[in-house]
Amino acid sequence: MASLGGSSSSSTEYIVRVPKNTSKKYSIMAFNSGDKVNCSSWTQARMERDMSNRRMYGVEETEEGAAGSEFGKKQREEARRKKFGIVTREFKVEDQPWILKVNGKAGKRFKGTKKGGITENASYYIFTQCPDGAFEAFPVNGWYNFVPQAKHRTLTAEEAEEEWGRRNKVVNHFSIMLQRRLREQERGPDDDDEEGEKGGKKKKKKGGRGGDLRIHDLEDDLELSSDESDSSGGEDGDSKPKKKEGDVKGKGKKKKKKRGSDSEANEDSDDGDFEGLEVDYMSDESSSEEEVGEEKAKSNKEAVPKGIDEASESEEESEEEKQNEEEGKEEEEEEEGKKTPVQTKKKRDSSGESDTSEDSDIDGEAASALFMVKRTPPKRGGGRGSGGSSRTGSRPGTPSIDSTSTSNTLRAAASKLEQGKRQVVGGSSESPAAKRLKMESSSTAVTTQSPAPSGKSTPQPPSGKSTPSSSDVQLTEEAVRRYLIRKPMTTKDLLKKFQTKRTGLSSEQTVNVLAQILKRLNPERKNVNDKMHFYLTE
Amino acid sequence: MSEKGEVDLTGAKQNTGVWLVKVPKYLSQQWAKASGRGEVGKLRIGKNQGKAEVEFTLNEDLTMIDSLGNKPSGVQAPRDHPFTMQTVGGQTLAVFTETQSESSKERISLEGLVVQRAECRPAVSENYMKLKRLQIEELSKPVRLSQQLEKAVTTNYKPVANHSYNLEYDRKKKEEGKRARVDKQQVLDMLFSAFEKHQYYNIKDLVDITKQPVSYLKEILRDIGIYNVKGTHKNTWELKPEYRHYQGGEEEEKETDD
Repeated sequence: MASLGGSSSSSTEYIVRVPKNTSKKYSIMAFNSGDKVNCSSWTQARMERDMSNRRMYGVEETEEGAAGSEFGKKQREEARRKKFGIVTREFKVEDQPWILKVNGKAGKRFKGTKKGGITENASYYIFTQCPDGAFEAFPVNGWYNFVPQAKHRTLTAEEAEEEWGRRNKVVNHFSIMLQRRLREQERGPDDDDEEGEKGGKKKKKKGGRGGDLRIHDLEDDLELSSDESDSSGGEDGDSKPKKKEGDVKGKGKKKKKKRGSDSEANEDSDDGDFEGLEVDYMSDESSSEEEVGEEKAKSNKEAVPKGIDEASESEEESEEEKQNEEEGKEEEEEEEGKKTPVQTKKKRDSSGESDTSEDSDIDGEAASALFMVKRTPPKRGGGRGSGGSSRTGSRPGTPSIDSTSTSNTLRAAASKLEQGKRQVVGGSSESPAAKRLKMESSSTAVTTQSPAPSGKSTPQPPSGKSTPSSSDVQLTEEAVRRYLIRKPMTTKDLLKKFQTKRTGLSSEQTVNVLAQILKRLNPERKNVNDKMHFYLTE
Repeated sequence: MSEKGEVDLTGAKQNTGVWLVKVPKYLSQQWAKASGRGEVGKLRIGKNQGKAEVEFTLNEDLTMIDSLGNKPSGVQAPRDHPFTMQTVGGQTLAVFTETQSESSKERISLEGLVVQRAECRPAVSENYMKLKRLQIEELSKPVRLSQQLEKAVTTNYKPVANHSYNLEYDRKKKEEGKRARVDKQQVLDMLFSAFEKHQYYNIKDLVDITKQPVSYLKEILRDIGIYNVKGTHKNTWELKPEYRHYQGGEEEEKETDD
């Protein structure tokens, strides 16, 4: 049109139309530019209203129909709500959020929430240019902000708070979600081999480093162990088998998995974190199956002195819940039993009740001594051994010595226990000495637990406790089955049962074979005290 | 409807660009008054020394402002509105439409992407000031109003010996009379069919249903039912277990001979 003199300016005029009577309602779909959404790259898209907020009147209430319903309940409820002034907002479909799915099931998902108040003070119009050059303006009906929905799992608020508390100790953050998945798996027992694998990878990571820098104090272990045993003592043995199976099965896999939670604490190699790590580890031991499993794995994997293995195994066993005093005593025996004979005995004894965590304190020592030297081979994923390695790592030179010193007393107590156990399978009146050692604080827990596990072990006392002091124990499916039938055990426990000294296999072999056996047996899992136990019911 | 939810992506594929323009309220009101094809004004896009200038001019016939109550006020809407152009950065804005045709086939289609944002501002003029003043006046009027009455209102509730409504009620009651006892068997039938529908009943409700005097009804109920004193269903009657046949919603009637 007009051009002002001098400067280059030109303008064109367009007619603006506001069409009436369009059945189309225009809305804005707003994406955050950080999400890098490119609409032209979408091949197909589906969008629906998100009706999850609709509360059908009466749906939340008790069932309709004869049974359990009252005459006139609906009206009464409504009158009540009116009396209290409870106003339920009407469910308007137009205000509900949108669910946008792009590129089918595997593609992205977005949730679009309506932005309020955009039509209050000003109106938005969409100006599009028509083929004839005129502009058409359409009013905008609604503005929806679309955000991508995470497909990966996220932590709930409680879980997030927990993890936040451990943020300084956790190195491997992948394991956090792994642990969570593990826990869920336990609730619904499935085969979690995949998880084991994933865990395994992580464990490898952790395991590799786990063995090296463990600053560990015997006293700490002792104290902490007792604490753990207390906490875990309450559980029944059902989880043990699960744990054990988990441990063994996933040598690389499950162990890794279990390591997950443990490894978090263990992997950290900062100086300042060590104390905390250790403490954490110790306190969590009984509660996390992984630890037990790890220790077991570690004990199995390490080709280190068998005594250490045995000790770690027994330690693991003791870490698990104290089912009953008997079990605890068995564990004690096992702990001390770095020396083969006694240990074997204990192992056999505790086959049914290996979960007692009473011995955790003693186990702790043993475990630390054990794991000190353990360097989990990478493919084992070290994870299993994380718990153990932490312990063992801290005491490079003293494993046997430490174990020995305590084992003497313990062994005495253990042998007593064994005797008592043999005779009174169910009775929890084992030698008090051993008991007191481990479960001073958890005596109550133990006693309460004892009746149940005792009952379990009663059926096959002799068969289950066939622990010839010096004979070899075969790591057979039959043996494992026996153990698992009697009492739920974790993989750690199982490993303790088949000490490398007795079976004549190396720790690696033991782990492998045990894993195979568990695969064959396919026991049921139960999560007790956060530890996965395996058990069989026949 | 497999169609439902499927988004038509032609607009996105063509990368149709649209403008998102923020328009003042009064202007959109004027636009709503447009007739015919809906032409509301002219948009002039010019390039002045390298900068784009956009201006919208309102049609003459749409400048009459109506005040509240659709009365023409003396105010005229300003005609010139320069556009302030803005970038879309920070957000990716797409435009989608929902079409609801009579066949109740709701279709969602992506019309395009916003390439330019703009704000339509009125050119400050005398007219605009007057318009604003009018708006403020209208807004400042209180929503609720107190008004003084000269005479007291006497038409509603007069003191009467007995209100007509009351009289009616009394008459109705008299007609109904006292509830008469019918055969026990009949009452049982009624009760059983009632308990088929719901498990728990209030005594008052049962009286209402059966139209029996309370004491008689209670006698019968004591035979076949139990009275819940505590628990969730407080003070309710229900059938005795042997008379019950609730099976997940399915019920059978069990009759007993008295």
